[in-house]
Amino acid sequence: MPAQRTFGMDHPHHEWSPIISRPALRWPNGAAVALCVVLVLEHMEWQAPDGSFQVANLSGGSAPRAFPDYARLSHREYGHRVGIFRLLDLLDKHGIPATIAMDAMTAENYPYLVQHCISRGCEIIGHGISVSRTISANMSEDEERGYIRSSIDSLIGATGSAPQGWFGPEYGESDRTPQLLAEAGIRYVCDWANDEQPYPMTTGDTPFFALPLLYELDDVASMAQRKVTVADYQRRLTESFDTLLEDGASNGRVMALNWHPWMVGQPFRVGAADAALGHMMRTGGVWAATGSEIVEHFQSQTA
Amino acid sequence: MALPPDRIDYLPIIDRPVIKWPNDARVALWISPNVEHYEYQPINEGVRDPWPRTPYPDVQQYTYRDYGNRVGFWRMLEPLDKHGIRCCVSLNLAVLEHFPEIAEAMVERDYDFMSHGIYNTRYLYTCTEDEEREFYRDCIDTLQRHTGKQLKGMLGPAISGSVSTPDLMAESGLIYHTDWFHDDQPTPIKVNSGKLVSVPYSIELNDSSVLRDNHYTAEYFADICKAQFDQLYSEGAESGRVMCIALHPFLIGQPHRIKYLDDALGYIMSHDGVWQTTADEIAEYYIANYYDQAVAHAAQLGR
Repeated sequence: MPAQRTFGMDHPHHEWSPIISRPALRWPNGAAVALCVVLVLEHMEWQAPDGSFQVANLSGGSAPRAFPDYARLSHREYGHRVGIFRLLDLLDKHGIPATIAMDAMTAENYPYLVQHCISRGCEIIGHGISVSRTISANMSEDEERGYIRSSIDSLIGATGSAPQGWFGPEYGESDRTPQLLAEAGIRYVCDWANDEQPYPMTTGDTPFFALPLLYELDDVASMAQRKVTVADYQRRLTESFDTLLEDGASNGRVMALNWHPWMVGQPFRVGAADAALGHMMRTGGVWAATGSEIVEHFQSQTA
Repeated sequence: MALPPDRIDYLPIIDRPVIKWPNDARVALWISPNVEHYEYQPINEGVRDPWPRTPYPDVQQYTYRDYGNRVGFWRMLEPLDKHGIRCCVSLNLAVLEHFPEIAEAMVERDYDFMSHGIYNTRYLYTCTEDEEREFYRDCIDTLQRHTGKQLKGMLGPAISGSVSTPDLMAESGLIYHTDWFHDDQPTPIKVNSGKLVSVPYSIELNDSSVLRDNHYTAEYFADICKAQFDQLYSEGAESGRVMCIALHPFLIGQPHRIKYLDDALGYIMSHDGVWQTTADEIAEYYIANYYDQAVAHAAQLGR
């Protein structure tokens, strides 16, 4: 529905709240920045089913090609076979816990990888069915409810526990998604890229939060779509961190990164990620945590 | 359940047979110039338009590429020769028929060749299986006739293919396919008969992606080649890695770019432990030494 030219947001999902008018947020041990690294394990399908929605500019293989697109499919698969292990080692090296956004096709078809992530203590959050089937307004409410349910059930089946968080493939949502996620037992969502702090969403009786990602620092958005150089990407990461550290001294900030193992996990890119994380963790004033830990702490502060 | 196209078994890089290259090299390095010809007046078969900018001919785009054969190729040979590189050319086979001096220069240097189709403006998307079989026969015969060499592998023409491509390649006696970007090591590809492996080509360290599609500088291209090498060289101490640099004479052979190829090759070739080789040799070595182990290991992991 078009906006009505009245006070506040033009949707019902959260209140208008400029960052300058909020009470100070304090992270554990006086940290100014809560650092969350979300690693995306998503599958691109050989042929998506009829009626599914895949974004037109879905990256990989340098450019979309006609079917069968071996290049794009396999370029993305690099993340599952190689890149993820490089990034998990990197996070370990810097003492940063991983939050893994895992789609149902990965959960069901990569048991080795699922067990590996569990054994390394990663938090696993919902990530839909596949990147070739994102949530969109094309879905009916029942379809969307079923989609969310089956994504969650796949994770429960593969990991033995229900995900607390959700990050839709390609940030895909309809105008009902936060409500349906809350109804399905999800506590926080990473699709909303509009803040530097968690915030409550108005989904009903159960508390439900947005954990915003910094979209400009999304590795695919930066390096595959906007053609940012690896060196510039590293600089954007460290300069963002430095600013957040400064601003977070008076009111804590979140630095949540969306990383794709097939992109930033490539041999020539991983060094930049290493250097940037090294800068952040050396500087101090940072609390590296999973999505759940950050939302949990935020909730305890604002209750 | 295997995900379609069910060509590649899942083998995580951290859990697979350790690869030892000849002389304990850490990195098998292959350099792949794409020696191509794009037709002046190709046929548009309706899947991909060879010259989408104008009605045919598109003299600007045609000559931009043909510059590679008249000038760029010869300039590109200088740094390749200086660093003693024996290339594995990704070859539009009709080049051998159109431009004998290029054929002679490549044969004289004992380059290896993989098919990159007959012309870069003729794709495999619309081929029937019999037409595709005939295509492989043509590629094999043409290479044999002009170079005396047996064709062993293919990068699909303009990275196109059909659903049956791997089966038909193997049936025709080819042993490697380089349209897969899922790994830093060779991997078995499941086919109906024979043995086929992927040898990692690169969609990232590729002047077409980096310089033409994504508008980066040649200095950046050299930088990422060096960074890629450093990472793979470090990891290759444990288990051998493959690194490919993909070139196009009309791009890297431009006067403002050529020195950066010299720079990247000089850096890489100054290291010990580099097996400067070709995709033909990598595929043969892998099949002789690791193919069976890899298949067995994947079966075990999948259980």
